[in-house]
Amino acid sequence: MNTAISIENISKSFPGVLANDSVSFDITSGTIHAIVGENGAGKSTLMKILYGMQKPDNGILKINGDIAKFQSPKDAIASGIGMVHQHFMLADNLTVWENIVLGIDGSNLSKIKRSKYIPEISDLSKKYSLPIDVNLTIDDLGVGEKQRVEILKVLYRGANILILDEPTAVLVPQEVEELFENLKNLVSQGVTILFISHKLDEVMEIADRISVMRGGQHVGTVNKEEASKKILAEMMIGKDLPTPPNRETMISSENCLQLKDLNGEPSLGKIPFEDINLEIKKGEICGIAGVEGNGQRELSEAILGLYPVESGQIFLEDIEITKLSTRERRLTGISFIPEDRQSQGLVVESNLIENIILGKQSSNTYSSRFRNVLFKNASKNSKDVVENYDVKTPSVQTLALALSGGNQQKFVVGREIDGKPRFLLASQPTRGVDIGAQALIWDKLKDARDMGLGVLLISADLDELLGLSDKLYVIYEGKLVKQLEPKEATPEQLGSYMTGLGI
Amino acid sequence: MSNFLNFIKDNKEKTFFIFILFWLLVIAQIETYSQLTTSGTFAATMRLAIPILLAGLGGIFSERSGVVNIGLEGMMIMGTWFGAWAAWLYGPWWGVAAGIFGGLIFGLIHAIATVSFQVDHIVSGVAINILAAGTARFFSVVAYANESQGGATQSPRISGEISSFSLPFLSGGTFLGNETSDLLRNLEDLNLFFISDISGLLGGLTRDISYLSFIALSLVPICMWVLWSTPFGLQLRSVGEFPVGSESLGINVYLMKYIGVTLSGAFSGLAGAYLVIESSGIYRENQTGGRGFIALASVIFGNWRPTGVLMGSGLFGYADALQLRSEESVHGLLLLISIVLLALSVYLLFNKKSRNGAISLLMAFGFGIWFLNSTSVPNEFVYFTPHITTLVVLSFASQRLRMPKSVGQPYKKGEGG
Repeated sequence: MNTAISIENISKSFPGVLANDSVSFDITSGTIHAIVGENGAGKSTLMKILYGMQKPDNGILKINGDIAKFQSPKDAIASGIGMVHQHFMLADNLTVWENIVLGIDGSNLSKIKRSKYIPEISDLSKKYSLPIDVNLTIDDLGVGEKQRVEILKVLYRGANILILDEPTAVLVPQEVEELFENLKNLVSQGVTILFISHKLDEVMEIADRISVMRGGQHVGTVNKEEASKKILAEMMIGKDLPTPPNRETMISSENCLQLKDLNGEPSLGKIPFEDINLEIKKGEICGIAGVEGNGQRELSEAILGLYPVESGQIFLEDIEITKLSTRERRLTGISFIPEDRQSQGLVVESNLIENIILGKQSSNTYSSRFRNVLFKNASKNSKDVVENYDVKTPSVQTLALALSGGNQQKFVVGREIDGKPRFLLASQPTRGVDIGAQALIWDKLKDARDMGLGVLLISADLDELLGLSDKLYVIYEGKLVKQLEPKEATPEQLGSYMTGLGI
Repeated sequence: MSNFLNFIKDNKEKTFFIFILFWLLVIAQIETYSQLTTSGTFAATMRLAIPILLAGLGGIFSERSGVVNIGLEGMMIMGTWFGAWAAWLYGPWWGVAAGIFGGLIFGLIHAIATVSFQVDHIVSGVAINILAAGTARFFSVVAYANESQGGATQSPRISGEISSFSLPFLSGGTFLGNETSDLLRNLEDLNLFFISDISGLLGGLTRDISYLSFIALSLVPICMWVLWSTPFGLQLRSVGEFPVGSESLGINVYLMKYIGVTLSGAFSGLAGAYLVIESSGIYRENQTGGRGFIALASVIFGNWRPTGVLMGSGLFGYADALQLRSEESVHGLLLLISIVLLALSVYLLFNKKSRNGAISLLMAFGFGIWFLNSTSVPNEFVYFTPHITTLVVLSFASQRLRMPKSVGQPYKKGEGG
């Protein structure tokens, strides 16, 4: 077995952070090598160095035994390294084949060699069993297909070492299965794969060897046979893997939120959600699982009064709020953790004191009788949230954009749970945050639930849904197609309902 | 019969379009409104449409590379000034070259501001428009103030003109030095339904065409070729869609944007030069009269495609030609609107959209009554016809617009590694 990549004493520092601290390990060619670690452990930096996007301060990189000094990704591509980014690097209005050959020809004005490229790409897609119609526009593809295009793109450039950065983050379980099949197929044909992830289940399933990183250092590399989830978790964070908190529920009989025959107004000829009937009691977490774009966003916006409702009623503790404005609903006690903290949850150019006021600007807490802002309360409450929710920030005067994603999210969650809301709508509350923040947010949601808060949890993270929910629905094409018992349901089951297979 | 119905069902927009054309033809048979389809009208249409077409093609290059170019108008102004100045001094072809140069310089300024310094595209575009108007006035004072006929707001008349040609046999052009027949003219004079009208259209487009017009029209297929069939075009379009991805594939994003925006300046400059050399023979302040903005609108409603811009500018040119050549024929358009609205209301009522159908029916009657009780349209409306026609038709024609995803967004080098 040859060594495809050998990393020797690579170090890289950014102002104030040592992102990689003398990292050394080897990657055997023709294997799947996983690199795991929490967010901020230095995985991404190492990969950027491998792909020529950044230059190491120290250390040597050897590709197939030769020392490599990459100035840019172009050099890395030339030595056969290809990167499949977590966020797809595809131009949506170009076709599949155009995306694959983009940049290969330079920028001259000759006729593009369509009749040469298309058969070549089709052959490649057959050879590696990555089926795709090369004439479709990227806009018309699903997530899994887009990923296939990305893989084909790097293969077409002659890559035999693939770096996949969190490739499963955007996929549903069935698509993950398919991806793994494809990867195994690639490896059997001699391709080397670097698989970056923080999901240990997946790593244990797919990888041959696993390297663990923590705090910029390489903690160790183990063969799969020697590894277990527990060992890896301990290597990753130095303690046990946090699991979704257990349920010891005290569901009250009082209604918290009730949706009756709710139908959304059609937009672009599509009804976003229809015939939604839900009853959420106090002290209960109701989960909604679904692939993005199946009406979750519109439903949550309808509850908040942002999306128009065609028919049906919404009750908050027996008060009908269907006709109330968003501001009035907020004042009645609806809290909201939005799915996109950057654009909906925070004004990132403002500091934390100003951000704590968001959504409650007209409540008595922050608005005096003469309608001036009560900054004293805001300052006090933001300090409370920072303390209680372990938000790592120099001060509450810091701008929100200076915080890491996990800390921003903890702040948003704290703001929404504090101040005694009557109902909490949590949309993807732990998307894109590290394990530590995730555990804290799960704990806080559970605490709030135990204090008698009703929660509607909309999420794509199946572990989160299964671990937190007291009851669980699957939404598919705008309808609640299935109610499942969270204690008994499995991710595979959920996945098949989410993709419309099990109905 | 069922084939026919299916065709209508699958091609609603096309059917609607053909329906309008049919009634236009019918109305054109009425003596008062015969100007609707004469070769003179179509020749004027072409002359009036080409400046908008050229600026619009430029706009496509800029927008496809991801830069909003609201400065088309300003770049056109520079085209008119430089075009007139060089044409006055050295002759029309030098005017064309100078016009392109003038627009190109301002395109380059827009590129430097928006690409290198990440200035907001709208802000920079507005600045370009203001700067161009001021610069043109300044240059005029310097260059023309002491000339006879010239002044702070206009240039002396330019000397010479660009020669023109007609198609031999069809439109009476010369062939190997011999005069040939003018078949299309003869057909047009026969006053046959459809045949004469089509002959008018073809005759207008093939008789006495200046070489500059020919070049301008041939730029449409050339632009389509460049943007959709060459590696350069592929890169340019990818940059406007997702620059981070393009850069990750080793494409020079800044260079592509520079080329796109500078080209849009050159095209607008050519548009301005055309306006001076082919239409007025003189530079006048405010000569462009918002054509750059119309061009921008036709880029957007034309779905960022050369054919869309061709249709948009053609429509504007046609309406403009009508209002210039015969006010009576604008009156004929009222009848057309009334008929079209009537058909639309029938369609809507059939599809159970009773409220919209009723509104459209009411408007159809309104226009019908207006048509029957008047012999002309008030002047104010006549001047306004081209703008309102273009906007109404284009906004109906393309309901689903797909703009380049990252257009208008600043991009900093290095985001894609």
